[in-house]
Amino acid sequence: MKAHEKYEVFIGLEIHIHLKTRSKMFCSCKAHYGDEPNTNVCPVCLGYPGTLPLVNEKAMELGYLVARSLGCKTAERSSFARKNYFYPDMPKNYQISQFEEPVGTDGAVEADFGGGASRKIRIHDVHLEEDAGKMIHAGDVTLLDYNRAGFPLLEIVTEPDLKSGEETEAFLRDFQRLVRYLGVSDGNMDEGSMKCDANISINLPGKGLGTKVELKNMNSPRFVRLALNHEIIRQAEVLDAGGSLVQETRLWNENRDITEIMRRKEAADDYRYFPEPDIPPFFPDEAFLEKVENGMVELPLEKKRRLHSEYGLSREQAEFIHDEAETAHFFEETVKSGASPQQAASWLSSDIRKLLNRENLSLVESPLTAGRFSSLLKLINDGRISGKIAKKVLEKIFKDNLDPETIVENEGWSQISDPVELTSLVEKVMKENPGVVSAVRAGDVRQKGFLMGQVMRYSDGKAAPELTGKILDEKLEEKE
Amino acid sequence: MPPLSPDWSGVLGNPERKDLYFRQVRETDRNIGSFLSFGPEESGAEIPREGSLTGIPVAVKDNIAVSGRPLTCGSRMLENLKAPYTATAVRRLEDEGAVVVGKTNLDEFGMGSSNENSALGTTVNPWDPQRVPGGSSGGSAAAVAAGLVPLALGSDTGGSVRQPANFCGVYGLKPTYGSVSRFGLTAYASSLEVIGSFTRDIDLMEKAFGIMSGQDDNDQSSLAYSPAAADSSRVVMLKVEPGMLEEPVARAYKETGEALKSAGYSVEEVDLPFLDLVVPAYYTIATAEASANLARFNGIRYGYAPDFAENPAELMKKARHEGFGKEVKLRILLGTYVLRSGFQDQYYGKAQKIRTLIRKELSAVFSSSDLLLMPVFPTRAFLKNDPGMDDYKQRLADVFTCLANLSGLPALAVPAGVEKGLPAGVQFMAPAFAENRLFTVARDLSDAFPLQTAPNFMDIGGLL
Repeated sequence: MKAHEKYEVFIGLEIHIHLKTRSKMFCSCKAHYGDEPNTNVCPVCLGYPGTLPLVNEKAMELGYLVARSLGCKTAERSSFARKNYFYPDMPKNYQISQFEEPVGTDGAVEADFGGGASRKIRIHDVHLEEDAGKMIHAGDVTLLDYNRAGFPLLEIVTEPDLKSGEETEAFLRDFQRLVRYLGVSDGNMDEGSMKCDANISINLPGKGLGTKVELKNMNSPRFVRLALNHEIIRQAEVLDAGGSLVQETRLWNENRDITEIMRRKEAADDYRYFPEPDIPPFFPDEAFLEKVENGMVELPLEKKRRLHSEYGLSREQAEFIHDEAETAHFFEETVKSGASPQQAASWLSSDIRKLLNRENLSLVESPLTAGRFSSLLKLINDGRISGKIAKKVLEKIFKDNLDPETIVENEGWSQISDPVELTSLVEKVMKENPGVVSAVRAGDVRQKGFLMGQVMRYSDGKAAPELTGKILDEKLEEKE
Repeated sequence: MPPLSPDWSGVLGNPERKDLYFRQVRETDRNIGSFLSFGPEESGAEIPREGSLTGIPVAVKDNIAVSGRPLTCGSRMLENLKAPYTATAVRRLEDEGAVVVGKTNLDEFGMGSSNENSALGTTVNPWDPQRVPGGSSGGSAAAVAAGLVPLALGSDTGGSVRQPANFCGVYGLKPTYGSVSRFGLTAYASSLEVIGSFTRDIDLMEKAFGIMSGQDDNDQSSLAYSPAAADSSRVVMLKVEPGMLEEPVARAYKETGEALKSAGYSVEEVDLPFLDLVVPAYYTIATAEASANLARFNGIRYGYAPDFAENPAELMKKARHEGFGKEVKLRILLGTYVLRSGFQDQYYGKAQKIRTLIRKELSAVFSSSDLLLMPVFPTRAFLKNDPGMDDYKQRLADVFTCLANLSGLPALAVPAGVEKGLPAGVQFMAPAFAENRLFTVARDLSDAFPLQTAPNFMDIGGLL
């Protein structure tokens, strides 16, 4: 029997995201990556004596926004606390965090596990805090960069409601989409703007939670899945062999695809939380709550379902279109200006996607606007260009940043749909290929394609395909 | 007798008089030790700004930041630190023309009531060099008492302004919590402390307080200042058990009550049954906050660092082991202990409940009275290394002062005569934002208790 069949699995997450604010959580230093070490620092974020924290209200707003989107009860009174522990990269040796009165508590969010399976995942709380600096060990010295110290962080703690690595990966990808839709964070695990630690325990069904193991150092949703699945099997093997599990923290080793012990937890860490005396409690007023409300958008899962139900997109298409908010927006704009949803979706998920990948552009950055895309589709549907020409027009839009009509006109790519012109082309091709013509007339209809191809070649692909086919058929039926 | 508040504007603006002034202070302070660092700004060129305090020299306790000057906090840990910015309270005084002339000695990080816990210097009481100036703002109190400056800043976490003011025979104000910005004050117990001031002139104190107070964008716990009603005719006087105060202090206390009556005040006695809870609650909260506030001193970004360490963890350990004095270590340990999970309800949580209770009780007291008269400290200035005043007794003696810190209310130490060469005094507490009542009652008592000068008081008359 497989591990996840014999045992019940409990997975909870602690997700940290860097909030996209201009300045740090408690001072006016730039919250910016990639600058020279120790340039975005001041006496406040370096923890000089006598300095005091000043709450970044934008971060507060984004915190409430995420809490609201995760179905949390948002705090009528929110306050900060000091979390005490010593670490060389932490300037004050306490982290200003939230403990008793976080911005959000008791949430629940529906997670879509694919194939129609979905479940509510409960959110324990959402709280604001500050990041620490960065320690770099170089030979026998240790270097410290405090640019990141004081970055606004939002931590989301789930209840242990996830059941497998696959579910957790899907949940994390949903969550990434959520924070990107809201515009509160980049949500990139490899770049460090999002971090995820997991706790996992297994037990015989009905026995409740098992011994909790904390997993760290997983730098992508995929690694989270691999680490959890590895851990489920490892824990099951220990139990199957009659052993017992130890409460500990383990690190994912992505080179060896295993988890390795980092430290045992004999007793729970004692952070000696107490209320932050430097920051008075925060009571959101109406103006603040209105700002939060204005930040709300249609969430990814709702969007995906609506794409499916309203436009009749397949699950795969909806999955692709909703993945990025800008794609979904682009899609809906295109449809609004008259394009067919199916057609728009299939162009978006094939040719346009390929071009974007090749040019390494996002839709917003690209010269293709919803208006241009819509007129391109209209040119096809009006029979003015063929699908093949449309692909060339698309390339040109990316290259020259011009409207499709202009390109078609400049390049003379309008489809030939004049019957006289097409008839003369067809006659020319038949005359040049008497053998093929005879063969078709003798019943080898497969060779008709060759004749069509030749017409296309002479017309630079502009011959209206349907009409050309009709004329060719007529001509082939005529006896000499 | 020298004038209490002579016109200082001519001293620091004139290069010759200024030099003379600085020389004379150095000379006088050699026997007192109030300053840890003293001297004109290194740039030297400054002419006092025009304002309501033009040319007033100010001494600043060395746990308050003044840009470019040391910020030692009386600790080996910060012996070489220079402040990279200026505290809001100091900047506001400077904007009105006051000139910071030096940084004064204190018990390390404000922890103590004798200045004997300073790692960097010894300050004596200007009235008697065998005695302590009080603490923790002992240097500032001594500087004003010795006539070195007319105005000095201190910080009051549990009595650190009022007790040394009382020992040195000067006025010492602990304002309403939040009325003066804490930005630039090295934190010891953030929820209890506030920047206060010392003067021998109640008008100057009122003026300086008016300038320093008010909301500050750099301190979210600061408040906009709106003075309470000025009415101050009804005084309640704490009933003190016999034997709790030394005889001269008890006498001064009693005489103050009588003087108030003569001045037209109604005076009634009051019992504060919760007084026994004050010191334990105060030390629980103060040490808890201190254990976090002092965690930042780890030898990495600034401050004392050992010559060698194997790794960052050892560096922090050595820096703290070698950089902090024993009282500081004791309070950090106590604070760590009371914050342990599982014990918070028993200690920190209980202390906060007591604090809430005290606030309620005091607001009941002030619902039918305008001012509360109390002793400052059970004794006058005690001897250095006084065996009768060990650390434990000193802490118990904080009972009268730390009440104002737990409740956040303003209090003023007022001199009430000199007995056998040592000043005695009292304090008044008022409701929040009623500092004006404190200044009024101090003025009304000045006829009964004219301020006296310490021996060897530095007379600046010759400079003017």
